[in-house]
Order: sequence, then C-alpha cells, then structure tokens
Amino acid sequence: MTRQERRKRLAGLSFSEKIKILEKLRRRSLAIAASGLRRRSAGGVRNADENSRPA
Amino acid sequence: MKTTLDMINRMQGDGVIGEYAIGGAVGATFYLEPSATVDVDIFAMLPKAGSSSLLSLAPIYEYLKAHGCDADGEHVVIGEWPVQFLPPSDALEREALAEATETEIEGVKTRVMTAEHLVAIAVRTGRPKDHARILQFLEQDAVDTEKLNRVLAGHGLIAKWQQFKKKYGADTND
Repeated sequence: MTRQERRKRLAGLSFSEKIKILEKLRRRSLAIAASGLRRRSAGGVRNADENSRPA
Repeated sequence: MKTTLDMINRMQGDGVIGEYAIGGAVGATFYLEPSATVDVDIFAMLPKAGSSSLLSLAPIYEYLKAHGCDADGEHVVIGEWPVQFLPPSDALEREALAEATETEIEGVKTRVMTAEHLVAIAVRTGRPKDHARILQFLEQDAVDTEKLNRVLAGHGLIAKWQQFKKKYGADTND
C-alpha cells in the first residue's frame, strides 16, 4: 500500500476510530517526551515524519 | 475523549458554555487522517456575566475545578485531554461555530467545524503548522472549493489565500 493509499484509508475511518488513533499517538508522544528520547534524537530525525509531530 | 466530551456536554447543559464546536487538529481529524496533537481546541460561546459585556473564562475554570479537573496553563485537563476553551474572536469563528457539523464520538454527541471553516481559520492564522494542515485538506480533496471560496471572500481572506497558493503552488481548481 502506498503512503497516499494509507492516508486515504486512515482518513476514511470513522471519527471514533480516528480519535482512538489520536489518543494512541498522544500517549506515544507523551511517553517519548517523558523519556527524553526526542531531545536526544532531535538532530537526527527532526523532519523524519511530519505527521507524528504534535500540532 | 468520551469522558472529555461528556463533561463538556454537561457544562453546556448546565449553562456554563453555550454552543460549542471542536476545531484545531482534533477537528481536522474528522476530515483527514489522524495527526498527533496534545490538546483539544473547543470554540465555545460564553454567557455574558451580568450587565458586563466582557466575556470571562473564569466560570468554566471554576465549574471544572468543582468537578475535579485541574488547570494546566491555558488548558483544563478533562479526562485524559488538556482542553483549551476559545470564545470566538471574530465573525469567521462565530460563523464556524454556528455552521458546525453534528457528529458523535463513541456515542457522545458533539459538533465539529466544517472543513471549509477549519481551512479558512488556518489561512487567517497562517503559521507553518496551519499551512501544513491546509495542504493536507487540499491533497485529500477534503474541502468543497466553492464553499471555501465563499467563506474566504466573506471574511476578507482572498488575498491571504492567493499568497498561500502562490507560496505552495496549490492547485484548487478555483
């Protein structure tokens, strides 16, 4: 599945399903922030995945 | 999120806030693929306090504190989510609130701003993350271009929209 197809599939999920994914992403962001991982690796992967960055 | 929206609906039922709609990144998620965000933006009408024409967020904070929620800077943490309450600051946000779409999250009724109003607000705000979101809306064909143009024209945002399109080479068939 291409990146574009994956994005389309995700966009087509129900709002409730998308909110569950948002909650997982948020927990993951908080866990990364708490571990200091982001600070240590920021130089290397800063622009690796724009969609995983909190808005 | 269910707990968060249950509490917000309860606040509305108790008259602490009026009509509300989800905006920002969570609102955009209604139309797009989920993008990580740390908070929820709730645009809400606030009842005026007595004879004063000033709007105050204090009743919201007091109500939520009395219901066991903690303030965290400009947010109040409701359930798992930090929530920012934003009274509409101009005609565009008032229109966005009035024309929001009704939906449900995990069986809880709520309202979300239309895609066109989310994009118009992002055009007006104009930060890099707003531009990134607009591009997502365009790439995923998630906006009605005619309606977006009406909203942009109605709120004096055509020049900013043209600047955006020039900067990003956006093709919107308009």
